[in-house]
Amino acid sequence: MKQKILMVEDDFTIRTQLINLLTGNGYEVYAVTDFSKTIEQIKSFAPHLVLLDIKLPGSSGFDICSQIRTFSAVPIVFVTSSNTDMDELNSIMLGGDAFITKPYNTAILLAKIASLLRRAYDSGQTEVLTWNGAALHLESSLIEYNGQKAELTKNELKILYYLFKNAGKICSRNDIIDFLWDNQLYVDDNALSVNITRIRDKLAAVGLRAFIKTKHRQGYTL
Amino acid sequence: MSAKQYLKNQLPVILINLLGILALALFLLVNGNPVSVILFLAAVWLAVVIFCFIIFYFSRKSYLEQLLEMTEQLEERYLIPEVMAVPKRSDDQVFYQILKMTEKSMLEEIGEIQRERKEYKEYIEQWIHEVKTPITAMKLLCENNRSPLTRDMLAEMEQINRFTEQALYYARSEHTEKDYSIREIRLSGVVHDAIADNKYLLRQNNVSITVNNLEHTVYSDDKWLRFILNQIIGNSIKYRTEKPALSFFSTKKNDQILLSIEDNGMGIQKSDLSRIFEKGFTGQNGRIIQTSTGIGLYLCRRLCDKLGIGITAYSEGNGTTITLSFHINNFVNEVQD
Repeated sequence: MKQKILMVEDDFTIRTQLINLLTGNGYEVYAVTDFSKTIEQIKSFAPHLVLLDIKLPGSSGFDICSQIRTFSAVPIVFVTSSNTDMDELNSIMLGGDAFITKPYNTAILLAKIASLLRRAYDSGQTEVLTWNGAALHLESSLIEYNGQKAELTKNELKILYYLFKNAGKICSRNDIIDFLWDNQLYVDDNALSVNITRIRDKLAAVGLRAFIKTKHRQGYTL
Repeated sequence: MSAKQYLKNQLPVILINLLGILALALFLLVNGNPVSVILFLAAVWLAVVIFCFIIFYFSRKSYLEQLLEMTEQLEERYLIPEVMAVPKRSDDQVFYQILKMTEKSMLEEIGEIQRERKEYKEYIEQWIHEVKTPITAMKLLCENNRSPLTRDMLAEMEQINRFTEQALYYARSEHTEKDYSIREIRLSGVVHDAIADNKYLLRQNNVSITVNNLEHTVYSDDKWLRFILNQIIGNSIKYRTEKPALSFFSTKKNDQILLSIEDNGMGIQKSDLSRIFEKGFTGQNGRIIQTSTGIGLYLCRRLCDKLGIGITAYSEGNGTTITLSFHINNFVNEVQD
């Protein structure tokens, strides 16, 4: 089942782009457009998480937050362009779970949403990704195939994680490096090539040959 | 107050007295008094006059010097009419009135300027608040449509964001009010955030990043610290050379935690090193890179001063190392233990 996110944001472009981003990442998104009936819309949509701007037409995000808290403990993420101490303090006092300032890094926003959802609704997801019989164990940082296992370094695990997540699609070298940077691994182009070679060696050792395919001038794919 | 000037001012009185003595002497002489009596009377008169002058001079001098000293000790000198006693002499009272009027117009002027500056600061804050909405929208548009073009746009966006932040902190640093809060922060967290703020710019310029030993925690304001790091990273990109590299590491030294940001850029001339934190100073590098403003590091220094962080620069030949030093607050640790 898809997790539902409700968004209260008055800027049209940000709203539509965030809907794109969040639906692209596997969430069901509902955006409030009639700000006079925000609370009713929240009640009827029953989201798993609320993204809330502070400066809104009509009642402010703070008011909405304290109203939500009267009937629900749903995680609330404040997303705002004002970064004063007072606002941050207010948002926490009123029961907000996170405070993110614009312009935000989308990777950070997505990570925050995912961690809040995980904390609030422990979905008991097994931290194992599979593709074509190969299993990637995230917790223990292992790749497993036909009972044979190989240990992976942090970089290798993240690269494989990204490829597994986008299995079947072509992942450009730039996108992979972007993803690694978002995970605080600052590799450059050369280092990525080195890592890919090492991963291929390890995969070959467990019997996976030609598992990662190179698409000329485009990137890699599983 | 010099005695000579005082006597000069009293010249009419002196002349009148001398005239008086002369007139008296003539009168007594005509009336057939002996010269010895006349000399005696003239001497007495003169003695009285001199005595009076000495008394008046010193009492006046002590009064005025006291007033002068009082003014010098005041921080806001224009407030002297508030602290001085209302003078008794009529001519002094006129000057007192003039001082009062000056003070009032001065206070009005200051009030006006303060109000204007406050309004301007509020306007700047509001403007930055507003401009962040389109910046966020542009960022989202670019990130949802990744291509070499949008990557370059994202890099430019990071620059725009850094400049707007600079304006915001400049407006804030001019004011004495405290708008930061000190809490325990992980150095790794704030460094990674600052790198993320410049991700596309760093990647566009192929800057290789190394991050080491950042497990220390410090007591500071994370937003301010992130801003300071952003300015330093911005400088490293601006003054880069071939194969740019940027390294972050922290060390513990006595009762301080040092966070160093080291680059391999063009470095800073020895003669410039002591002045780089001055407002508007651009130095040798500023003549090579025309876009230097001399604001970034000045702001860093100001914010560091407010937060109680030490900031130093080191450069020898190539590369620059900026070091931030945080005091370890033993007291806070003890209370928490």
